[in-house]
Amino acid sequence: MASLFGRRPQPSSAEKIAAAEAEIDLVSDMFNRLVQSCTKKCIPSDYRESDLNKGESVCLDRCVAKFFEVNVKVSEKMQGQAAAGGAGGGGMFGM
Amino acid sequence: MEGLNAQEQRELQSRMEKKQMKEFMTMYSNMVQHCFDDCINDFTSKTLGSREEGCVMRCIDKRMKGSERIGNRFQEQNAAMAQSGALPGR
Repeated sequence: MASLFGRRPQPSSAEKIAAAEAEIDLVSDMFNRLVQSCTKKCIPSDYRESDLNKGESVCLDRCVAKFFEVNVKVSEKMQGQAAAGGAGGGGMFGM
Repeated sequence: MEGLNAQEQRELQSRMEKKQMKEFMTMYSNMVQHCFDDCINDFTSKTLGSREEGCVMRCIDKRMKGSERIGNRFQEQNAAMAQSGALPGR
């Protein structure tokens, strides 16, 4: 996260590991939520066949793309808000 | 990960391994939960019927394939985004 907003000079070893870990946590959390949402939206709960059919596959692909797009929109909007209004929305990013 | 020396990398690596174990357990219990909820609705018998068992097997297969596919797309998107310099994964 720190890389987005410029970093303090010489972080300690523990800090660097913690930062790397936080970044991985962020991405893995996002991935888990993505799997949860898109599975729920695209895979019907009557499991007629064990393979993904065409419709389900395409749905998953589009779902992932849209999830990313929403992520970008939210981050742009909130960064814009944080820059304009100071404290307001900025707290969400833990900075 | 940028700027970690060998020892720091090892520390991070060992934390990741613990995390992976935990993630696996979570995935496992989610799978049980979902496939149970979606496939098992009849309690007139105490063993799985062949329909239920078939449903559970297909449920597992399909969900695994689904998250694999999502994983592939996720990596592509992440790579594309890293190149264009937007949010996640720096």
